[in-house]
Amino acid sequence: MAGKDPIQKEPNPVGTAAAGQSLESLFSPRFKSAAAMAGWDEESILLASLIVEDTPDRDFKQRKRSDPLFKTPPSNSSRRKRRVQRRSPMPATVLNLDEDEPSKKEVNDNKKSESQVAVKEEEKKKSEKKDEEGNKENSEASCSNAVFPCLDKLRAELSCAICLEICYEPSTTSCGHSFCKKCLRSAADKCGKKCPKCRQLISNGRSCTVNTVLWNTIQLLFPQDVEARKSAMVLNSREATNREIPRERAVVNNETRRLSRGLNPSRQGRPLGHNQIQNSGTSQRLQRGEFMWLSSRDGDDDDGVGRRRGGQNEGGESALSRRVERGEELARLLRREAESRGRRRTTREVTSVVPSQDGDAALAFRLQRQEFMEAFREPDEGRQGGRSGLQSARANLRAMASRAVNVRSRGGQYM
Amino acid sequence: MYRISGRDVSAQGGGGGGGGGGPSSATANNSWVSPTSVSTSGKRIQREITEFSMDPPPDCSAGPKGDNLYHWVSTIIGPSGTPYQGGIFFLDIIFPSDYPFKPPKVAFKTRIYHCNVDSAGNLSMDILKDSWSPALTITKVLLAVRSIFTNPDPYNPQIPGIAHLYLADRAKHDELAAEWTRRFAK
Repeated sequence: MAGKDPIQKEPNPVGTAAAGQSLESLFSPRFKSAAAMAGWDEESILLASLIVEDTPDRDFKQRKRSDPLFKTPPSNSSRRKRRVQRRSPMPATVLNLDEDEPSKKEVNDNKKSESQVAVKEEEKKKSEKKDEEGNKENSEASCSNAVFPCLDKLRAELSCAICLEICYEPSTTSCGHSFCKKCLRSAADKCGKKCPKCRQLISNGRSCTVNTVLWNTIQLLFPQDVEARKSAMVLNSREATNREIPRERAVVNNETRRLSRGLNPSRQGRPLGHNQIQNSGTSQRLQRGEFMWLSSRDGDDDDGVGRRRGGQNEGGESALSRRVERGEELARLLRREAESRGRRRTTREVTSVVPSQDGDAALAFRLQRQEFMEAFREPDEGRQGGRSGLQSARANLRAMASRAVNVRSRGGQYM
Repeated sequence: MYRISGRDVSAQGGGGGGGGGGPSSATANNSWVSPTSVSTSGKRIQREITEFSMDPPPDCSAGPKGDNLYHWVSTIIGPSGTPYQGGIFFLDIIFPSDYPFKPPKVAFKTRIYHCNVDSAGNLSMDILKDSWSPALTITKVLLAVRSIFTNPDPYNPQIPGIAHLYLADRAKHDELAAEWTRRFAK
């Protein structure tokens, strides 16, 4: 059974023939007679052929398995790294010498031919992949250097004639000239509805649309400029909304306090058991209801998630014990959330009372969702947690709630 | 930051929020803060400084007078082959707070005998008035100013007498212009 698979997968024509045709056509009569003289029966011949066919495929499988390892270099064993380092210098120097794209192609071709030679030597292949990965940075750096004069021209070409910076959300006039959307709008307001470049009449400066292709191109070519401009914009708009933020935060903290209080019923001195679990289950349901209420105001999150979560009510009990293991993950999620919230805040253009509440609802939502997903995925494992698991789960829950508050206050420094 | 930066903000706010966008409507729209506000004009002028210093037009120089970004001084050397040859002409450039949506005010500080420049140094150039475009930069303006040395525009004069002389007796006009250049621009 184990031998059957490789034959079917094998791209080699011999392998497919073996699968499709009878044994007679596969082995010559002379070979069969020789095998008979050696005392082999047909079965063992076939088995031997399978083993022979099997080897390259096994090689192939191993290579496949090693691929993900290379996407995460830190997980590599030190021995392999050493081997890779020994091999890498040669192609690396080749790349450093050439800097243009054509030469890069050449190197790629070299790689292809090399890999053709070294199909069976997986180690060599590995080292090459490593090289490719390592050289990507090199080639990128050298590429930007080589392309630099061209990039300067591009910068000039893609900058807005009004603000003289890289077009931000470029809008193209009917005469074919592009400006920042805001610049064009201001120009149309203050200087009349004429194209700033060619003075042709532009139909409607106020309802200008963003040229998406151009905008995407600009974002790809000059990510730093776009980022800088974006943050500058938010800096300006944030000054106006700074006053409102403390009030939001107070509301949010109240929310979390209420949530952590909602968990307390499971702390009452009742005997532990199924009853207890159910009780905490209901508190969870309460909690969930609260989240649902929060999320109903949340415009960003999709409804599908809520429905999915509703279906996971059964997994809720086991979630309690799973939390012991997931505590660390959740903490990480919280931290990440706080960071990304800080980042999101800088990218958000329209800031009012709603967005930050949305963010917190989304955070709570995500925490909750992940927990339930974990519980749903491995319910059996979770049930084995037992009593001690339940106790530590409660402690963990409390820790989570306090951590959430801490993270939020820490996250406040970003604002 | 700068002398007129306060006015700048309100002028910017008027542009996006209101219809016509004059300073009067700007005060009404003060609650609406433009994300591109504080100093769109300042940023643009700063960019122009760097661009000008990287690639200055021939025979021209320009830069802020002191620490005020909105007040520049520029010099243009009279192009050879004209009666202004060899003269150094100083110009004052004052940027409005809603630059580049309004033209800069350019004026000669050096006296010049030219049909397009009046005795106060004001220029009669359409691009500094109705034909201004926000896509124009100070580099282009100075090139345009330099071009009126070689090609005066007598049909759109600031001083009709000089324009008349330019059309009627070019030699006399050139002689006078050269005399003025010797007296005031050297």
